[in-house]
Amino acid sequence: MIVPLHTILGVSAILFGIGVFGFLARRNIILMFVSVEVMLNAVNISLVGFSQYFQEPHGQVVALFVIAVAAAEAGVGLGLLIAINRNQTGSSVGDLTKLKW
Amino acid sequence: MTLLTGTFYYLAAASAGSALLAVTRKNPVHSMLWVLALFLHVAGIFLILGAEFLAAVQVIVYAGAILVFYLFVLMLLDLSAEESQSRFGTHWPFAAMVGSSFVILVWITQIERSESIATTTDPSHPLGSVADIGMALFGPFALPFEIASLILLAAIVGAIILARKRTAKK
Repeated sequence: MIVPLHTILGVSAILFGIGVFGFLARRNIILMFVSVEVMLNAVNISLVGFSQYFQEPHGQVVALFVIAVAAAEAGVGLGLLIAINRNQTGSSVGDLTKLKW
Repeated sequence: MTLLTGTFYYLAAASAGSALLAVTRKNPVHSMLWVLALFLHVAGIFLILGAEFLAAVQVIVYAGAILVFYLFVLMLLDLSAEESQSRFGTHWPFAAMVGSSFVILVWITQIERSESIATTTDPSHPLGSVADIGMALFGPFALPFEIASLILLAAIVGAIILARKRTAKK
């Protein structure tokens, strides 16, 4: 084992924290999606770390599913963004007040 | 510290730094380029952890397909109007607090120092080979694999329906 498990989990936690900060703080929808991708990458790192720790390929298979779901999320989210941009310009969440009561 | 351990610490530091730059740059295209750096460094971490197939998928799917998709959508939108606005909401200190509370998890992981299980790896049969992952995908994970393909199909149809220009019905 090259790196102990707690180091891998620490890297994963730092990346996840950065992703959470970006998702909550940014106002641009595209940058919020990118922060979600950062969080998914952090989870993938810990899954691969567990996979190496337990010497099982299952963690890597689950990470593969995470990548598939990330691709689906990007497709639907950016499709929504294009649909929103057809009616109004700007991709800031501050502009999306249609559902506000 | 061996060479591989040093490489791991470099990749970890570089991915954390590029992630931080990606979520804080003002220009969205610069953010995308830093995210590209993040994806490539994470692929390097996968390589060191013995997941060669996943590293290849990371480069092909994430850095190749998803990132190009994001860049295409960025080019469709008006960036100049975006850059004049402030990049963070007024609540960003709270967001920083929530984000750093996850970083506190690092210290919790340091308390429970894990000892590595005595690895009896057979060098002729390394973990993470494509054959291993293929056997797992079509053995115990066959149903989730089919569901993932269904999710991707639903995403394709949904994205087309959402982004298509609506034409008036006759």
